[in-house]
Amino acid sequence: MEAGSAAGWNRGPLRAWRLWALMPILLLVGTVAVFVSTGSSLLDLVGRAPPPRDEFDIRRVEFKPGEIRIRVTNPQREELAIGTVTVDDAIVPFRLDGPSSLGRLRSSTIVVPYHWVEDDPYTVGVTSSSGIETSFAVPAAVESRGASPRGFLGYALIGLLVGIVPVALGLAWLPSLRRADARWLASFMALTAGLLTFLAFDALGEALQLQAALPSGFQGTGLILLGVAASYLGLTFVAQRASATARQERSAPLEGAALAGLIAAGIGLHNLGEGLAIGTSIALGELALGTFFIVGFMVHNITEGLGIATPIASGGRVGLPRLGALALIAGAPAIVGAWIGGFITSDLLGVLFFALAVGAALQVVVEIGRYVARKAPGGLSSGHVVGGYLAGIVVMYATGLLVG
Amino acid sequence: MPKHRVTRRRLLAAAAPVVAATPFAKLALAAGDHAEHAGMSMTAMDHAAMGHAAMIGSDALAPGGPHERDALLYPPAALGHRPGRVREYAVAAVDRQIEVAKGVFFSAWTYNGTVPGPVIRATEGDLLRVRFTNGGSHPHTIHLHGIHPADMDGVFEIVEPGASFTYEFPARPHGMHLYHCHSTPLKKHIAKGLYGAFIIDPPEPRPEAQELVMVLTGFDTDGDGENNFYGVNGPAFYYAKYPIRVRRSQTVRIYLANLTEFDLINSFHLHGDFFRYYPTGSTDHYEYTDTVMLCQGQRGIIEIDFAHTGRFMFHAHQSEFTELGWMGFFEVVD
Repeated sequence: MEAGSAAGWNRGPLRAWRLWALMPILLLVGTVAVFVSTGSSLLDLVGRAPPPRDEFDIRRVEFKPGEIRIRVTNPQREELAIGTVTVDDAIVPFRLDGPSSLGRLRSSTIVVPYHWVEDDPYTVGVTSSSGIETSFAVPAAVESRGASPRGFLGYALIGLLVGIVPVALGLAWLPSLRRADARWLASFMALTAGLLTFLAFDALGEALQLQAALPSGFQGTGLILLGVAASYLGLTFVAQRASATARQERSAPLEGAALAGLIAAGIGLHNLGEGLAIGTSIALGELALGTFFIVGFMVHNITEGLGIATPIASGGRVGLPRLGALALIAGAPAIVGAWIGGFITSDLLGVLFFALAVGAALQVVVEIGRYVARKAPGGLSSGHVVGGYLAGIVVMYATGLLVG
Repeated sequence: MPKHRVTRRRLLAAAAPVVAATPFAKLALAAGDHAEHAGMSMTAMDHAAMGHAAMIGSDALAPGGPHERDALLYPPAALGHRPGRVREYAVAAVDRQIEVAKGVFFSAWTYNGTVPGPVIRATEGDLLRVRFTNGGSHPHTIHLHGIHPADMDGVFEIVEPGASFTYEFPARPHGMHLYHCHSTPLKKHIAKGLYGAFIIDPPEPRPEAQELVMVLTGFDTDGDGENNFYGVNGPAFYYAKYPIRVRRSQTVRIYLANLTEFDLINSFHLHGDFFRYYPTGSTDHYEYTDTVMLCQGQRGIIEIDFAHTGRFMFHAHQSEFTELGWMGFFEVVD
């Protein structure tokens, strides 16, 4: 009884403090309530809000046999209702998968029965109940394939070719790297850092471009920051843990297979975004999907395998299963990305994936930098390292020309 | 005068249940169980829905209920010739939200709450008196076509909101005329909906006929200087949803006027038959044809003696206008 009452006595003030911490929030709720009930008259003192734009955000227009599917989102705060739908300036009957009156950031799919002509351009228009027409031009109608076992396999093969295969091929440089002397090895490490920096910039550019097309409510730039911070700090945490278990020393730089694993993870996140971009482009018929494109990506990505192989070369022997696992970590996300992009097409996910790739790549660059600074003859400022770093960027740029 | 001040927001809220219940309940029903998701196979109904020929009756994407627009379609009866008789009309400008296409609303300026405005009809020699009250939020006038004194022309006598003006003059010459607001900016005042049909009957009455009024209308709902919707007497596809029933035994007389803004021309085309077209309807001169072209303000009288019963389409012979709402049907019966 005594102990209980003592605990109760102790808990009393504690509870009071907690309540006190709630005070600002309660006051805010009260103030907001007062403002909401009288706010419009207050705003009338300073002006009048313009009417909402009432434009839809048309994300995706798909052509299926005998029908056109239009995905619309309401990007504004005010409710937005679908009134009429036009195809090439003709009002058409339609049905809806989803609500006809959309709340903020809610979506619906408009299904229009239509005999469209392969490869012809089309302009679809969606008019709001307030009479504002949002149109979306499709340069050429191409049938978009839905989720099917064939499509699933197709995207997997594309992911395999642009992701896993080049990385695995790049890993085959390992025996040659093992014979290289320490200065050249440092140079290759720097080259890896250079190409990862290039990938980080590339992913940042993609993320910024994608977010610009998002409705402002999604706050694309904030999402990018979140993705970059999450992956950078997440990988930092993982690297610390890995180095602590390996060497009982918290701040030691990673090396050998552990560093290779980290690089593979960073590259894997990049390939996830890359796969997503490829899958989306294919699904929307925006991509001239040729052998040249696939070959370009393979040449571009073989350098990623080199990057993973380099730190292993300086460490102990690593078995074939371990190498296979590294190739999968770095390359397999391209398959997952292609599936997501091909079947879901979400610019929001695209932004997030590319942002994750930015943070991951930068973290790995920092990790490599720490390793090179400590282990390489001549440290970070040696000619081999500086030259290697710049060479990494040049290699990525040059092979990137094949893809663009 | 009823002064409707419906805000956009409130209207949306009111329209929400209607909009939610639409837009293609009927089609979804007809398409059946498998309609809800992708991978649906093509049914006969889906095929039918792809052509406008099928857009008739409840499948037509038109707002409104039956007979709602009868006052605009069927003119008041012609009266015999009695010079000096007074014909009085009260017309008020009213700002109003109107549904111009299924689920789409337009902030219109109207005469007496509708676009087009009421049909004004007089017999040649009648003393026409139009009492105009401006219940709108902008200065307006009524400019009637025809022969009248300069101070009755509705150009200089701008009627401010809340003010009134009476136009008074002997009606002449006989024919199909029109009226519209002549305040500046002119384009805006017409595009917003301030216009209507003005019929002057000849001293010698025209032969008995089933009389209809068709004012060609267009609506630019997003303000980009191009019409988003077209129609006859207002809403898109209205007479596709509610075909106009006429008897084969009697001449059908249509008082036709084009008041669409922005587009250089509009037209009228009848399926399955020919008609006599009297340009402006002030002389006996006519053309025998099935298609007529009108610039803005041009008008005339059409007389059809249907040879067959059945459903006959009429529409603009600009395919674009047709597919944006200017299309309807005659249901010709014995």
